[in-house]
Amino acid sequence: MSGRGPLLVIGAIVASMVLVGSYLAAGGSSYEPEQVKDPCEPRQWTDPQGLQELAQQFSLSALDGAACQLGVSRETLARALATPQARERFTERFGITDAKLAKAIRAGLIRAVDDAEEAGALSPLIGIPLRETLQRIPLDQAIEIINETREFLANVESFLGPAGTILEELLP
Amino acid sequence: MGVVLADSSIVVLALPEIYRELDTSVAGVTWVLVSFNLVMALAAVPAALLARRVGPGRAAAVGLAIFAGAGLACGAADGLSTLIVARCVQALGGAAAVTAALELLPATVGSERRAAAIWAGAGATGAALGPAVGGLLTELVSWQSIFLLQVPIALAAAVPILAVARHEAATGIIEPELRSTGRPHLWANLALAMVSAAIAAALFLLVLLLIEGWRMSPIAAAIVVSVMPLAAIAASRLDVHVPDARARAAAGAILVSGGLAGLAFLPKATVALTLPPQVLIGVGLSLVLSALTETALGGRAPQAIHGGWTISSRHAGVVIGLLALTPIFTAEIAEQRHDAIDAGTAVILDSPVSPLLKIDLAARINTRLEEERGKVPTLGPVFEPLPTDPTERAEVVQLRDELQDQLDRGATHAFSTSFLLAALLGLFALAPIGLARRVDL
Repeated sequence: MSGRGPLLVIGAIVASMVLVGSYLAAGGSSYEPEQVKDPCEPRQWTDPQGLQELAQQFSLSALDGAACQLGVSRETLARALATPQARERFTERFGITDAKLAKAIRAGLIRAVDDAEEAGALSPLIGIPLRETLQRIPLDQAIEIINETREFLANVESFLGPAGTILEELLP
Repeated sequence: MGVVLADSSIVVLALPEIYRELDTSVAGVTWVLVSFNLVMALAAVPAALLARRVGPGRAAAVGLAIFAGAGLACGAADGLSTLIVARCVQALGGAAAVTAALELLPATVGSERRAAAIWAGAGATGAALGPAVGGLLTELVSWQSIFLLQVPIALAAAVPILAVARHEAATGIIEPELRSTGRPHLWANLALAMVSAAIAAALFLLVLLLIEGWRMSPIAAAIVVSVMPLAAIAASRLDVHVPDARARAAAGAILVSGGLAGLAFLPKATVALTLPPQVLIGVGLSLVLSALTETALGGRAPQAIHGGWTISSRHAGVVIGLLALTPIFTAEIAEQRHDAIDAGTAVILDSPVSPLLKIDLAARINTRLEEERGKVPTLGPVFEPLPTDPTERAEVVQLRDELQDQLDRGATHAFSTSFLLAALLGLFALAPIGLARRVDL
């Protein structure tokens, strides 16, 4: 190489490094979808405002617990529970029986009670009988909870029965 | 010649449209591009030998007629297999026309050196201009118009060549026997193949990112990718200031790799951020393609045969680039789509909107994803009508934007590995460029 040749090559190297360096500095190496959290890790409870928010936190904790038990992400399980067809696809894909799924949901519901207690959103006075109820909940009813999420959230009080009324009173 | 070489890349922006209209797969539609380049790679040298035997005028005229006829068949194709077969025939005609043109050019422009420079420049400009022209035609008319428009252009180019062909037929002035052609320039041709693989990947992947990933229309994508040919044209006079072909080739390969690495590390899904990498790639491709073609042709005779080798190397590179990278980015797209959906689900679950609205939105998004059949969806309509309550409205708008951001992140990141691998291919070309002896043209 002679004359302006080396200058051209140096210019090309500098231009390339400036471009790549500035893009990396602007976050180019981490511009990707956010990684979902491990469902087995405890999740922060926010201060619930009203029974519906408490039910939501409770559902999210239950999802975490069930997903942890099944070894899938909370997000994958949430999508699987959205419709019966999605649930069927999910159980087929991961080779999970309805009984195993229901068991996991039950474990998730119990973890939700634990999380609520730990966060101070639920008194042990409520937690202990609620946990007892959930431990005895039949498997088909657990599946029903999965299929009737909408109704569960819309009618959380009637679903929880007397416990729901007490909860409402205990909330700020 | 520019039309034939632009044809190697002209369908790039039409591929998403062909993909939808002919109801095929990403891998299937890639063959519309691969078939043309594969046949060009295989036929270029035999076509050059034929041009030497029957006369360049006749070879070019027949080649252009075949190119035009096959273009008509491409435009009329109603299925992927018909289109691919027609593309193969088109490449056969194109190979004959392009290699014969190199034999015809010296008589027109005065010297072999000038002919080689013009031929190389036309190749680089054609390759860079192809996608932009194809995108404009796809949007303004249809993908079929890309091929149909080539028919009158090829026939018009054949008219002045007919006189040469008639002269060859009348006088019988053609090469009486094939003289020794000398060995093709191994390093220059190898570097051409590697750089062409990187450039093909740049064009193909960028177009897919803009149209399939960022949901742009072909015309908008065409405007965006026109930066590359504009930069190439602007840089085309650099050879006058830097006569050292090896330096131009090395600088070009570095710029192409730098631009591709820039596209691999886009920090946001914004069109403006694709412009600086495109400028680097455009300038780089202009420098490297012309320098390597001149090097491969310099001091070698006959020009048609060595030109045939450069055409063969370039198109073989395109084929290798497309075939190697297609499975990588299709797998990445599937993985990133899954990650983006997971991240989007997390955004919905953790958003402050009411649980019942969340469930409604989740069901609508699910339906939308199923409707889009694996493509990146636009989520805006899913959120319509927005709630009337200002607080709830603000929450839903924020949720929509966060969801779309996750999808954009996934769509952009899906191309990163392929862009990086293409950048590496460009960098590897520096080895044969370094080994290529300097040629005084």
